[in-house]
Amino acid sequence: MSQENGSPPVSSRTRPLRRAIALGASAALLVALAACSTVDDGSSISGKGASGSANCGSGDEQSAITAAVKGRTLKVGFAPPILSEFYTQVEKSAFNRMSELEECYGIKWEWARQGALNDAHSGVEAVGIVENFISNKFDAVFVCSAAAHATMQEIYKAGSEKGVDFYQFNSTEELENPSQADDPTAGLSTVSNIGYDDRWQSGYIAGQYLAKALQGEGQIVQILGPSGSDWTKLRQQGFEAAISEFPGMTIVGSADGGYVRDKGLTAAQDLLTKFPDIAAIYGENEDMALGASQAIDLAGLKHWDGTKGIITIGADGLISGMDSIRQDKLSATVDVNSVDMGRTMIDTLFQHEILGMTVAQFIQIPTVVIDKTNVDWAEAKIAASQAGSGKY
Amino acid sequence: MPSRPRSAGQVTRNAWERLLVDPTLGVISLLLIFALIAAFALPVFYAGNNIYNLVGTIITVMILSIGMTVVLISGGIDLSVGAVMALCAGVAATLIKMGAPLFLAFIAAILVGIAAGLVNGLLITRVGLPDFIATLAMMGFASGLLYIATQGVPVIGYMTDEYYVIGGLRPLFGPVTFPILVAVILALVVGWVLASTKLGTHFFAVGSNALAARQSGIPVRWVKTQAYVLSGTCAAIAGIILAGRNNNVPADLGTGYEIQAISAAIIGGASLMGGRGRVFGAVLGALTLALAINIINLAGVPSSYQKIVMGVILILAVIANYLSELARGATLRRQAKRLSSIAA
Repeated sequence: MSQENGSPPVSSRTRPLRRAIALGASAALLVALAACSTVDDGSSISGKGASGSANCGSGDEQSAITAAVKGRTLKVGFAPPILSEFYTQVEKSAFNRMSELEECYGIKWEWARQGALNDAHSGVEAVGIVENFISNKFDAVFVCSAAAHATMQEIYKAGSEKGVDFYQFNSTEELENPSQADDPTAGLSTVSNIGYDDRWQSGYIAGQYLAKALQGEGQIVQILGPSGSDWTKLRQQGFEAAISEFPGMTIVGSADGGYVRDKGLTAAQDLLTKFPDIAAIYGENEDMALGASQAIDLAGLKHWDGTKGIITIGADGLISGMDSIRQDKLSATVDVNSVDMGRTMIDTLFQHEILGMTVAQFIQIPTVVIDKTNVDWAEAKIAASQAGSGKY
Repeated sequence: MPSRPRSAGQVTRNAWERLLVDPTLGVISLLLIFALIAAFALPVFYAGNNIYNLVGTIITVMILSIGMTVVLISGGIDLSVGAVMALCAGVAATLIKMGAPLFLAFIAAILVGIAAGLVNGLLITRVGLPDFIATLAMMGFASGLLYIATQGVPVIGYMTDEYYVIGGLRPLFGPVTFPILVAVILALVVGWVLASTKLGTHFFAVGSNALAARQSGIPVRWVKTQAYVLSGTCAAIAGIILAGRNNNVPADLGTGYEIQAISAAIIGGASLMGGRGRVFGAVLGALTLALAINIINLAGVPSSYQKIVMGVILILAVIANYLSELARGATLRRQAKRLSSIAA
């Protein structure tokens, strides 16, 4: 995206970034509070963070909350767009938090997961899955879907009238609600939306990372998700905004990698044939970036070693990608924080459904770029969140 | 009796007529057109490893389309190839990860593919389910099984030095990779079976007219079951190779591959009505699909056009096949007329 195309001047880009950072910091604080002890109005939710022994707060607090829970069982639906490693990480992290709350306050959980099996990006299956949860009288449903915003909001509205509460996660509400600052609940029938801003907390920071590593010089190619996908649209917007701040950097080509590794590999091979002198590959998700990394090996080119070679950056923060980062096959990835996403989903649900608290319509969790310098910490955090029974 | 020497003109005419009656004329024309477009518009097409990459990209679809062609010839359709391929990839990867020798893991994966094909065949020929429904059910079953086994988490950590070679990430010798070798051998063997064996003739007979075939004493149900077993075996081989190329086996590995395999077979001259098709055509059909995506990526065409281009290719291929069929009919009529005039 260039300024000739009518995009706002570079300085205006920093505002959303600052907002994202501010929101991210606020979310981090909330998450930390939720994980450690007391939350805002005096109601307590205790925990043990991603690992360690459960801390249920003081005896009085624990008794009071346990009394509020009344041994209730919450029937919760989980509807990711597809059953993938990322959504499994989110789910297991949620399980981890659920077991902590169960241990502390005696809440019971009935959990059902159903994701699209065919086309994650059509959204058609998601509609059927959510309707199924409504007819089975679930207390609450977590949804991440590629279905049209308006369609889903209508379904949520109908479900809410039947007593089902809806929470979206990892969704792209920022695209549908540009005026959220004026009216944060406009057109939304959800209790809360837990996620991050794909533009500024994913695409933008990936672009910034590349620019910093390459000192603002070099040609880049992009491997994008399926055209028409909201995630693709938003991440690309943020990435191109970051790159446009550096006149020495150019995006010379892009291709569809379909969010999967083999298509990412093919797309990267084609782009490397056409642009053999590129400095960096941006894979909009981690699987495609890993496919691009294989293409670099197959073409006999060198991976980034800190001073030369091709930098490859992805986004997701998958356990399966950590070794590639360690081995310099994948230079970096944007960890969109499956751990805090899963935990925050459960905390928000508990606060609203059990304690009757109001919760924010948009809860943004922090994200971070992982490279060789912080991969051990990132992997340990995710691994700890995946421990436990793993089932509900 | 020594053959009568033929004039240069007669040789040329015979070669031309042979080309006209070739069922793969349509796809050959399409490939030539693409190659010409690439040559003039995209000089980079012939640069570096592009052709090599292109072939590496399409091997999986090529292998699937070989099995699919046989199923289509025998009058069926196999919607389960993508899911069965992914399941077999998962079986191989998991067993290797558990410490099984590569050979045993691959045998197990192939047995799973054969079993899936056998179940498809039995559901269709013994239970009487329509091909579409039986293979759709198998697609759901195989895909669901992989999802349950992996819980949505890709199988990783199974790659060995040998598996890099088997997946085609390292060449076998010179520019030849293991997947290319397998695809060539498979195409030759299945092509030979179709062209020169009784079983091949039976596949065509069953697909052209199952009732007439039965009345001629052909074991129609068994022949059709064998077609599905072959397709399942091809899916397993494709899965083993794709797991090596991909370095991981996600639960949705096979999504969309069935459509690509059917498209490649149809582009290559196979008919959804049965009784028609050629392995060589399927191989060229797969190449055409890969070539189209390659040209789109090299030309920098937005990916949103990719599906439109694929649709247009499919229509062009069917038209080209139809025109080739017309040319074939005309040539055969001309040859018959010539023969009858000689006889007279």
